[in-house]
Amino acid sequence: MRILRNISFGQYIPRDSLIHNLDPRIKILSCLAIIVSLFLITKFSGYLILGSFVLISIIISKVHPKFVFRGLRPLLFIIIFTLIIHLFMTEGEVIYQLGFLKITREGLVKGLLISFRLFILILTTSLLTLATSPISLTDGIERLLSVFKFIGMPAHEIAMMMTIALRFIPTLLEETEKIMKAQISRGADFESGNIFNRAKNLIPILIPLFVNAFRRADELAIAMEAKCYRGGEGRTHYRELKIKKTDILTFALTIVTTVTVSVMF
Amino acid sequence: MFIHLENICFTYSLGMPFETEVLKNINLEIDEGEFIGLIGNTGCGKTTLIQHFNGLLAPTSGKIYVEGVDLNKKGANLKLVRQKIGLVFQYPENQLFEETIYQEVAFGPRKLGLPEGKIEKRVKEALKMVDLDYNLYVERSPFSLSGGEMRRVALASILSIRPKMLILDEPTANLDPQGRDNILSEIKKIHYNFGMTVVLVSHNMEEVAETVKRLLVMHRGEIIIDGTPQEIFEKHANDLVKVGLGLPQVTECMHKLKAKGKDVYTGVLTVDDAEREVLKKMKKPIKR
Repeated sequence: MRILRNISFGQYIPRDSLIHNLDPRIKILSCLAIIVSLFLITKFSGYLILGSFVLISIIISKVHPKFVFRGLRPLLFIIIFTLIIHLFMTEGEVIYQLGFLKITREGLVKGLLISFRLFILILTTSLLTLATSPISLTDGIERLLSVFKFIGMPAHEIAMMMTIALRFIPTLLEETEKIMKAQISRGADFESGNIFNRAKNLIPILIPLFVNAFRRADELAIAMEAKCYRGGEGRTHYRELKIKKTDILTFALTIVTTVTVSVMF
Repeated sequence: MFIHLENICFTYSLGMPFETEVLKNINLEIDEGEFIGLIGNTGCGKTTLIQHFNGLLAPTSGKIYVEGVDLNKKGANLKLVRQKIGLVFQYPENQLFEETIYQEVAFGPRKLGLPEGKIEKRVKEALKMVDLDYNLYVERSPFSLSGGEMRRVALASILSIRPKMLILDEPTANLDPQGRDNILSEIKKIHYNFGMTVVLVSHNMEEVAETVKRLLVMHRGEIIIDGTPQEIFEKHANDLVKVGLGLPQVTECMHKLKAKGKDVYTGVLTVDDAEREVLKKMKKPIKR
């Protein structure tokens, strides 16, 4: 039950900051630029510069770093795992030997580089979701995707599905917790037994969860139709996205940084 | 003493941006055989409090004892505690999952590792307690029932683990008047005929007032009043109105009569009590 409360992914922390007030399209594109350059960099100094760029953005966003770094926790295992794999599995100059295991210099460098890459990647995307409300995030995605409308991309529908999915993550988590507690009160046990038993023990959670989710989806669909929802064609927005001066400046800064870093390092 | 709570405090999302203090220094004792109503406005911490009773939530500070056992001590047998204290959640029909009603009610006893013969006996007994005919219902799917029936099946699925104490979180929420009366009369029967300790959580003063023997009033995470309904309606009527809970209509009527100078007893709970009291105080009884 504790696990469910600690998921910070997709959680929005409202603050009044430069990062929060940026146009969501700018934020998404900047993130993409950073991610692309992360995969082009091959030297530590490049990661250092890009890492500081992201860290400064975190400070500017006024979101407590604790929340941004919390996003790392579930993926820490993967980062450590890749580091270890690279440490032991890369051929090269041996710098430490323990029985049949040997650490090579190349392995150490490669492992650390990849860890840094994942590390900055997660920080960047956590910052995006922490500092952008789900609504403006999907708004931004919709506007960006509508560029591809000419090849038949249903931009509005995709954005609407994302909005609904994001909206129901906390609801479903809350409901899972409640059903879990209710079944525990009835004698269910989710903490002991082997993996097959544990999987079987999930049935009392999953069935009610699905039944309720389908019912809720049905009700939502009816409510939307009652409000005359008819898809994206000709639909106007209450909040129109407008590119401001700060947006252009921020985007320019990001592009200059990422391009420089990717070319030079 | 069955349950004993000492200085219970509870804070949700401790250390997170949305940290909220839900329970503030709760002290409470519940004896075996009591029939308790826990009343308070939505969001006052009722549900959080009852989840402490069977160890689903651990207090931020304070101690809970069930039959003398400290629930938050390492190695406390919470499974046993959950068997002693049956907790029926709000909208319990949302937890049904089995193919047949028999399987649904048998879930708890099966988890206790009972032999099939005993399980069947318990299913029969539990369905009888909630007035569902065993032969008519066992083979049906729980999802084919009406809302009120589903709720009774959910209640039976807790009763089949034979708890000593039954806690019900808003058992009448979203039911029509008839379903509401049915469930309430079943709860009364479970208390009076089977001697079970019952805690009934509600925000509806009318239904709690005429049902329970002891009333706990919660407001913003604290228990502000504790006593029999009669005492509370007689002495604490103003406090109840102040926290926005109000009085049952008959009780309010008696208070108004008193305010107009009629010397009537204000601790009445039902229309019949009120009628008797008014007739007693009238100088010339009305001929019927």
